[in-house]
Amino acid sequence: MQKYSFLSLIKNAFSGHKGWEVAWKDPTPKKEYDVVIIGGGGHGLATAYYLAKEHKITNIAVIEKGWIGGGNVGRNTTIIRSNYMHDENGLFYEKGMDLWRSMSQDLNFNIMFSPRGIINLAHSDAQMNAYARRGNSMRLNGIDAVLLDREEVKKKVPVLDFSDNVRFPIFGALMQPSAGTARHDAVAWGYARQADSMGVDIIQHCEVTGFDISNGKMKGIKTSRGDIKTKKVGLCVAGSTSILAEMLNMTLPIETHLLQACVSEPIKPILDHVVTFGAGHFYCSQSDKGEMVMGGDLDGYNSYAQRGNLPTLQHVLTEGIAMFPFLSKLNMLRTWGGIMDMSMDGSPIIDKTHIAGLYLNCGWCYGGFKATPASGFTFAHTIAQDRVHELNAGFRLDRFSTGHLIDEKGLGTKTWIS
Amino acid sequence: MVQSYRLDKIGLVNREKKLSFKFNGKKYFGYEGDTLASALIANGVHLVGRSFKYHRPRGFFGAGVDEPYAIVQLYRNGETEPNVRATEQELFEGLEAKSVNCWPSVNFDIGAINNFLNIFLPAGFYYKTFMWPRSFWYRIYEPFIRKAAGFGVASKEHDKERYEHKYEYCDLLIAGSGPSGLASAYAAAKNGARVILAEDKPRFGGSLLTSDVSINNQSGKEWADNIITELKGMTNVTVKNRAQIFGYYDHNMLVMSERVTDHLPKSEEFTPKQRLWYIRAKQVVISSGSIERPIVFGNNDTPGVVLASAAKEYMKVYGVLVGKKPIVFTNNDSAYETAIEFKKNNINPIVLDSRQDSNSEIIKEAKSLGIDIKFSHVVVAAKGYKKVKSCDIAEISEDKQNLNQIKNIECDCICVSGFWTPTIHLASQSGGKTKFKEEIDAFVPDKSKQKEVTLGSANGVFTLEETLKTSFDKGFELSKEITNNNNSQQIPKVSEKKHSKHDKFWCVPLPKGKKYKRFLDFQNDVAVSDIELAIREGYRSIEHVKRYTTLGMATDQGKTSNLNGLQLVSNIENKVVPAVGHTTFRPPYTPISIGAIVGREIGKHSKPTRKSPMHNWHKKNNAVFVDAGVWLRPRYYKRGNEGLFEASKREAENVRKNVGVCDVTTLGKIDIKGPNAAEFLNRVYTNAWLKLPVGKARYGVMLREDGIVMDDGTTTRISEHHYHMTTTTAQAANVLSHLEYYLQLVWPELDVNVVSTTEQWAGAAIAGPKSRDLLQKLFSDTDVSNEGLPFMGFVEANLFGVNARIFRISFSGELAYEVNVESDNGNFMWEKIIEIGKDFDLQPYGTEALSTLRIEMGHVAGSELDGRTIPYDTGLDGLVSKKKDFIGKRSLLKKAYNEKDRQRLVGVVPLDKKTSIPEGSHLVKDPKGKLPNPKLGHISASCWSVEHNNPFSLAILKDGKNMIGSKLYAMSPLKNKTIAVEIVSSHYVDPKGERVRS
Amino acid sequence: MLYIKCPHCGLRSQNEFAYGGDASVKRPELNKEISDQEWDEFVYLRKSPRGKHLELWHHVSGCRQWIKVLRDTSTHEIFNTYKSEEKVG
Repeated sequence: MQKYSFLSLIKNAFSGHKGWEVAWKDPTPKKEYDVVIIGGGGHGLATAYYLAKEHKITNIAVIEKGWIGGGNVGRNTTIIRSNYMHDENGLFYEKGMDLWRSMSQDLNFNIMFSPRGIINLAHSDAQMNAYARRGNSMRLNGIDAVLLDREEVKKKVPVLDFSDNVRFPIFGALMQPSAGTARHDAVAWGYARQADSMGVDIIQHCEVTGFDISNGKMKGIKTSRGDIKTKKVGLCVAGSTSILAEMLNMTLPIETHLLQACVSEPIKPILDHVVTFGAGHFYCSQSDKGEMVMGGDLDGYNSYAQRGNLPTLQHVLTEGIAMFPFLSKLNMLRTWGGIMDMSMDGSPIIDKTHIAGLYLNCGWCYGGFKATPASGFTFAHTIAQDRVHELNAGFRLDRFSTGHLIDEKGLGTKTWIS
Repeated sequence: MVQSYRLDKIGLVNREKKLSFKFNGKKYFGYEGDTLASALIANGVHLVGRSFKYHRPRGFFGAGVDEPYAIVQLYRNGETEPNVRATEQELFEGLEAKSVNCWPSVNFDIGAINNFLNIFLPAGFYYKTFMWPRSFWYRIYEPFIRKAAGFGVASKEHDKERYEHKYEYCDLLIAGSGPSGLASAYAAAKNGARVILAEDKPRFGGSLLTSDVSINNQSGKEWADNIITELKGMTNVTVKNRAQIFGYYDHNMLVMSERVTDHLPKSEEFTPKQRLWYIRAKQVVISSGSIERPIVFGNNDTPGVVLASAAKEYMKVYGVLVGKKPIVFTNNDSAYETAIEFKKNNINPIVLDSRQDSNSEIIKEAKSLGIDIKFSHVVVAAKGYKKVKSCDIAEISEDKQNLNQIKNIECDCICVSGFWTPTIHLASQSGGKTKFKEEIDAFVPDKSKQKEVTLGSANGVFTLEETLKTSFDKGFELSKEITNNNNSQQIPKVSEKKHSKHDKFWCVPLPKGKKYKRFLDFQNDVAVSDIELAIREGYRSIEHVKRYTTLGMATDQGKTSNLNGLQLVSNIENKVVPAVGHTTFRPPYTPISIGAIVGREIGKHSKPTRKSPMHNWHKKNNAVFVDAGVWLRPRYYKRGNEGLFEASKREAENVRKNVGVCDVTTLGKIDIKGPNAAEFLNRVYTNAWLKLPVGKARYGVMLREDGIVMDDGTTTRISEHHYHMTTTTAQAANVLSHLEYYLQLVWPELDVNVVSTTEQWAGAAIAGPKSRDLLQKLFSDTDVSNEGLPFMGFVEANLFGVNARIFRISFSGELAYEVNVESDNGNFMWEKIIEIGKDFDLQPYGTEALSTLRIEMGHVAGSELDGRTIPYDTGLDGLVSKKKDFIGKRSLLKKAYNEKDRQRLVGVVPLDKKTSIPEGSHLVKDPKGKLPNPKLGHISASCWSVEHNNPFSLAILKDGKNMIGSKLYAMSPLKNKTIAVEIVSSHYVDPKGERVRS
Repeated sequence: MLYIKCPHCGLRSQNEFAYGGDASVKRPELNKEISDQEWDEFVYLRKSPRGKHLELWHHVSGCRQWIKVLRDTSTHEIFNTYKSEEKVG
């Protein structure tokens, strides 16, 4: 594989950039693979990459209905963090942080991980206490966290509203300094390029139309580009999991919902950190391009539409201005929506299923992007070894039956209430 | 300064009113009716900004919403606004603007060094480098890139402007007041429909303002003016200029942004800057017109390269010349109107037409005027850095692949036209599909998804005659369906010049040996070579191309670049354009002010504020308030220099010693009535309710179906079929919806009604050993003795002539009562309690003391009922009936909920009896244990026990039941605290509950 | 913003309503012995179809009635709305 570097960039500049190779090929599907990953998003591509890298399984196809990276890895607000209270989440995402930190070098693709720190604002003592509970849990799990008082928040983010003219004054914040952002598309492309170089077939514009299962065992899949034999299938289609589950005769503890986000026009640097509003649902960071990247709430009813409504954005931006008054004079440039699996306790599922050779990776709610490397890493392990990794042992499917739920927010099964 | 590019006798600006303005510190003059762009061009200013990546000089490209270049920082009435398009900003007296994204000035910009390095900075270069050493990305490279990016500067001040929202309904909403919009609006309005006609620009008429046509023997503009005048006079019509419909949402909801005072030096008081209209329309006419697209050639981003239609608009609307030695470069007939307009104003243009020949009416006219037309000729490259000085032109072969000898000719502007792109954003946003129309090389709307129709050039129809005919017909037809009226209008007579076919030509090939940048996306500096590179590297889907190169992602959202980008991709990939497809159109059509989207819900009004009827008394008596959801509650009443700790301790002590009063109005209250009310409560709560006598209250816990505690509170049987339920402040709304859900959907056979009475009652909790004595004085004609009003008893009583309800319930562990009166009497009640309470050393207490009292009692609240705990965890399992079924009971059988070491509520006391344990600390066995250090539980609530005069906390602890007496450590690494603690019972005060019954 | 026809009040904008999830889920009868599986199906498992979805909405800022809405989850088209007690055919 061609190596990307400053030198190779200069060398190619003098030949008019004619010498660059394709980042990934465009193969026709083979008749049989050792493993088929359904879904060419971040998680699917990462799973293929770690199967090849960690488990030396390279006869893999990643099957994508559209174009790779077209799902939520290409339509999120790029936040990366591991600031979770529950051990199952905290330790899993912290493994992810390790992988994020070295990802550009590992993939030889600049995914621009930028540990600019995430600040969760608190607007009451009760909220400060809840954050303390979370932050202390993080620290005891070896994850960095600091509690900031109002003055410390002001020093870090002076453009927040510290005036008297606010409904919910800022009391302080919980900060994870090592959290940050990354260039979302690059993550999908970087994994795709490396997986491809190790022999993985990335097959775009190929839709799965059915499964071949006999005696409770996976035999193969049917696609719009022909049948493919395989004994192991990994499902990485967050947002569309329920559609495939229906083909498999499974009903899952998830619902599909739409989450919207938007960006403003680019402005000169004004916000260094990722900041979330504690008195509502709003988060914001500034991209390297200068756009304010803003996200918040679900549209609030089951949706596969990938088109959102304005009242949700209005609500999100209302909280935005409550936090950052300067947003008022900016323009909203682009809006978009992503459909996601909302699981019944807000935590993901990475597990085997009752069908031998069918593995499930779903239920990422809003948190899928930051999970990409850890999800790929543990899912690859689960598929290769046919048993869960200790890091995804808590994300089992039967936890809804056993009661071992991982509910960070304590909101229960009303997935549409965020 | 002389406006040296201003024409004398032409244009719609008001020459009577001269306006002064400043650009980059220099003073200029323009006229009322100018845009900032037209006024600057009139003054010969062409350099306004720098591009995003290479910092190349940027001028004006368009004359409106499609403008990719002319973005400025605007100063108005002491405030500043970034990223304002100069082509849309109307001039006002005293306007000030500056160039953005350049340093130290637009004329000399250091960032332009990128332009010379551009061969090293192709699309996606940053993905391939800046990776070593690892930490340099965040520390060195990225900060540098961030500084270089971005356009304007955001003001850090609060926005002083006002923004409003308006909700509107209509029969027909018409987006755009060009010929199709006017015709359909007129036909529909005359047929009785309620019509809203929205025009983005200040002037109505669209293309009629600049096209050379006649309608009913009037000029296009005269006809448009007359129609608008008539429409404005009709009561069933709303006509709005400066109003852009930017989003088409579900179920025919469209949103329009009206720029109410952006064109004025300042907004009058109570006048909004902008107004957002949510419009629900029965039918929508999309008459949004079309946008000219450029032909791509070398250095086509040089200031002085403009769209031909914009050059015409600058002349005909603003009386301004974009140049005095123009080249008109076209592949179609429409640009000839621009050439002719130049000629009429004594400027001699040269027309380069990529077509081999054409003999249409308009070309004949141009020829007859003596205009120099060179067929089969193209502009190869513009020359000049900050302004076009000349251009290389050449004859092009029929197959458009080869250029003949290149000649350089002098010019000061190049007016380019590559034909027209219908503006299909709204139609596409509505959910409808698009189709590619070969004849015009562009997409048009396919079948409608919602109730809308696209007319005129937005639908790819470029003749006025057909546009007017279909628009009159459609306006009539749609209105007839709604109003059932039958008044149709006569379609006016049109005279217009017939156009011949345009040339399918959109990009000039590079001459041998030349490496001119040929730009597609002007703002983001995306050139032909970038797209070629993306595809070479396998980024082949149009979405990949867009993301890899940033094509069409600038603030102009690709209005002039997207289609050429598609053409290029289809050429390279050897596909037809529709097979490449286009990226999704999403609202907004153009960037929309965030202030306008938010409207009035800002500052203190970002969420409602709820106050109890006694709020003013609290305020007068030095209450320090705390937000409890959207309620404001007294947290404590400050005396002298007291802080939170001292005051709340004093208040709590006084409750334990004497008597205190607390405002509990915020508690949720629900009236439950009906013959099956008892059965209903029995299903809702975990404990038994069938035998509760009239006049008695009972504490109850309700679960969600997943077995998690949802809420707790007391419910009182007021009469045979009437109960009064209380909920926590936080859960009041949820509980009501929950009850309604079960009554309406699950058990409709139960004859029960529920209604919220939270606002109807003001509540005061009176607690402490002296509370009965106080009560007796307040209600002298009621027996409130232990026998007359026993624990959990209820009685209606008379408070100095006011009806009151007394509940003997306690949240503090003391002898206590809750008194409710109608809200209007709340303050009367409160003042009576305070007045008479003086004799009993009564003090008001706030939520902090309330908290202390409940914590040392071991009474659970929100911090324990956190949506993750079952009754057992919080010590409420005694209230779980084994005999009957209830909501959520089945879930309690789950394995995890019955594990032997299941977590449970305990009390925690520091061994030193001094160190308060921070809330949110975790309990561990070994404070020095290796990370991750196993956590056994967490501190949910802490207080200073006034009973024991030492710190006390509640915790939810693994195997809590068997841990009483153990020694653990409470750790708060965030606060750097490790405290040795003993686990004790959660009932730290009066464990047998004797006081409440005394 | 959706436009929902409340069977009691008429056409109203979505912001008057609160969403209530899948209406096809049926609560098991009280006091009935059921399997863990049946109970989990009620509490946790959802079909979440793409296409027609019968769902609950609560007219919270209106008549406070729970209603059923048959809506397409990919286009948001609303086919019909029903009162809580109405059978959906």
